[in-house]
Amino acid sequence: MEALLTAASNDYSRGMVTAGTDIVADEAAWVRQAQRSDARAFEALYRMHIDKVYGLCLRMTGNVSEAEDCAQEAFIQAWNKLNKFRGDSAFATWLHRIAVNTVLGRIRKSKREQDRIQTVADTRPEPLETGDTGELRDLAEAIDRLPEGARHVFVLNAVYGYTHDEAAGMLGIAAGTSKAQLHRARRLLAQQLEEQEFDA
Amino acid sequence: MTEEFDNKLDRAARQLATGISPERDLWPGIAEAIERPQRSRWTPMFAQAAAIVLLVGASSAVTYLAVSDNKGPVTAVAPELVFEQASFGNNYNLGPGFQDARNSLRGELDVEMTYLSPEARVDIQDNLDLIHQAIVEINTALEREPDNVLLQQKLLRAYREELTLLRRVGGLTRNVMMRNDI
Repeated sequence: MEALLTAASNDYSRGMVTAGTDIVADEAAWVRQAQRSDARAFEALYRMHIDKVYGLCLRMTGNVSEAEDCAQEAFIQAWNKLNKFRGDSAFATWLHRIAVNTVLGRIRKSKREQDRIQTVADTRPEPLETGDTGELRDLAEAIDRLPEGARHVFVLNAVYGYTHDEAAGMLGIAAGTSKAQLHRARRLLAQQLEEQEFDA
Repeated sequence: MTEEFDNKLDRAARQLATGISPERDLWPGIAEAIERPQRSRWTPMFAQAAAIVLLVGASSAVTYLAVSDNKGPVTAVAPELVFEQASFGNNYNLGPGFQDARNSLRGELDVEMTYLSPEARVDIQDNLDLIHQAIVEINTALEREPDNVLLQQKLLRAYREELTLLRRVGGLTRNVMMRNDI
């Protein structure tokens, strides 16, 4: 274990890519180490998962700095709750659940603050740098314009591949609501992309 | 259009990048947060408990001061409701503001009632009866426990509800009963 961590300490993420089938075993080992308050092992987990967690936060919030804050907060919360992770689900799923909770919590807080100070911000944010190109970029931007509920369900279900039950569990809604929101998202995307003659 | 489009959309959505690298390394901020020595959980819990004790103490003190600074004779203000001395256990007194407001509202009520439909009149009377019944029952209980602050507060609340109802019916805004009037 010590050797594994020593070897991985220089560049965890590169180690992950080259590790191939050892990834799951490595992850489990790092989780166990991190659960013993080993920050280096947790950094390995961070390097392994940050892109997916940040991507999820970015697609859900549609805002770079908000997504950075959410991702950071999600990992801090994950560290604090690490002893509660029993391995019933994949570590990535557990982490994504925390990230989604963080996003929802920040959105709620942000709404409360907006209500309180009565600000009106009607500026269109810059298009997100998601690495998508061509038609996919159009789709990414259309997703970003979806209403919050529809966007969250679409991102979790259609982009990240979570089932309706899983997405609903993460978002704290009923599975039926998740289905309805997905339907709504598809219709709204159809309207938006039809205008752009979407053809992915 | 829909099924075909949905399939196309799903295929495209699956091709969207799920892993996106943040523009800056977020680890230093996380490391700083997780390596900061965590405060003991007992401190906030102890602080919360202490705050609750303080709150209860302060609330009790305020209640004590509020009920002990206004002693005097109590007057019956309406034939159907008698505000007996025992009702307030020597601690509360019906102030003149309350009595004036109530008398005024009672007078207005009789006039206002004539403009209302029979159904509305029945509803209002039912509500008034309920409040009066509550007042009678609380008074009875207070005769047994004249110094029970909770009962005294309930009685005050009942009187206040009666006034609120009377004010609503009469549409009056004057003679608002203040807490200090009682």
